[in-house]
Amino acid sequence: MVEIKSLKKCYGDRTVLDIPELVFENGTVTALAGANGSGKTTLLRILAGIIKKTEGSVKTPASVLYLPQQCYAFRGNLIKNITLSGADEKEASVLLRKLGLDNLASKKAKSLSGGELQRLALCRILSKKCELLLLDEPTSACDARGAQLVTEAINDYKEKYGCTVIMSTHSPALAVNSAQRLIVLGSGRIEADGAPSDILSSPESQWAKSFTSGWKI
Amino acid sequence: MESFRQAFELLFPPDKELLQIIGVTLKMSFFSTLISCLIGLPLGSLIGSQSFRGKSFIKKLIHTLMGLPPVVAGLVVYSLFTHYGPLGRLNMLFTVRVMVVAQVMLITPVVIGLTSSFIESASKPVIETARGLGFSGLKTARLCIGEGRSSLFSVVLNAFGRSIAEVGAVSIVGGNIQWKTRVMTTAIMLETNKGKFSFAIALGIILLLIAFIVNALASFTVRENADG
Repeated sequence: MVEIKSLKKCYGDRTVLDIPELVFENGTVTALAGANGSGKTTLLRILAGIIKKTEGSVKTPASVLYLPQQCYAFRGNLIKNITLSGADEKEASVLLRKLGLDNLASKKAKSLSGGELQRLALCRILSKKCELLLLDEPTSACDARGAQLVTEAINDYKEKYGCTVIMSTHSPALAVNSAQRLIVLGSGRIEADGAPSDILSSPESQWAKSFTSGWKI
Repeated sequence: MESFRQAFELLFPPDKELLQIIGVTLKMSFFSTLISCLIGLPLGSLIGSQSFRGKSFIKKLIHTLMGLPPVVAGLVVYSLFTHYGPLGRLNMLFTVRVMVVAQVMLITPVVIGLTSSFIESASKPVIETARGLGFSGLKTARLCIGEGRSSLFSVVLNAFGRSIAEVGAVSIVGGNIQWKTRVMTTAIMLETNKGKFSFAIALGIILLLIAFIVNALASFTVRENADG
């Protein structure tokens, strides 16, 4: 279980995240939505231990994996990029096939396009087992087919390991097809929290309404 | 032109003493660069990739030491290794080994400072990705070194360049002894003081040539490995 209490993140006088209480139950998939600068990435980075909180308490499981928004390709080919995480070549090949990258397996990772790189980074993350999976806009650079493969891969991983998944996204399809819960953030605060279909059909706040009104499923 | 002619005459056929001076210079520069990098690259990588209490103070200290005047380093090492100094019984003063010690004292902060700056700026995505994958601090540092090896190679070259061009510390602790601790820079200084400008310039040209060859070889090696 992930428990957040009185969490605040400030940069100087500016408060970028202010969450009084938030709990993510084990084995659930939650999508975080909100405009740029609403605090989605900050929340994920605090949960991943990448940045420190200013105030409050955060309780996370022992094994946490985090996929940053800016994906990075290590030197070497795609297989090497995945085996770096501890997976063997066979597992790496299976993951590459699952994400539609098997024909590029021996290609240098640095030569990949943005969408391909994002799928490779997801392969690398999904090659490891964890209790909490944090994904920062995992389909932002993908085309429709790529986004579908990513959604399926996340669902399969969750099914296999039963881990808790929290992901930020601007994609209604990903939120609805993968998540049981949608949290809409605005200026670092929770604006709406509930089932994706409920929020999209009847947003809890004017702000959430204005943000999600452009989402068509 | 006279200097070039003299440099050519010193090299072809090679002057015995000149070869010995070049040998001592390269030996001293190689070992001081090697030791500095063995200490500085991992330490700089750790400082650059980790957040910890006192990091800001350590960085300030390193930046101060990066500007340490060579004669001060020479004086400190001399005080340590002189007959009555705490390390005097090692009998190392006026040897190439103590010249290496002085050079390491000068170069290590440069290697640490440049490495940590590089890791902090250019390696941010590597660090975030590695941390996201749950890698240890050591594995993250190793990855940063591997990913930025071209840039880190320039740190090594910088260290070598500083070592081969240094004169203040090595003349204090080495004593510029003929056939023993005389290096290119101290030889140039001596020949200039003796009024043998042409010979000093010839030595300078050879020193530049050595630096150029080392840099060219290093650039070639880095280019060979540059593409991931």
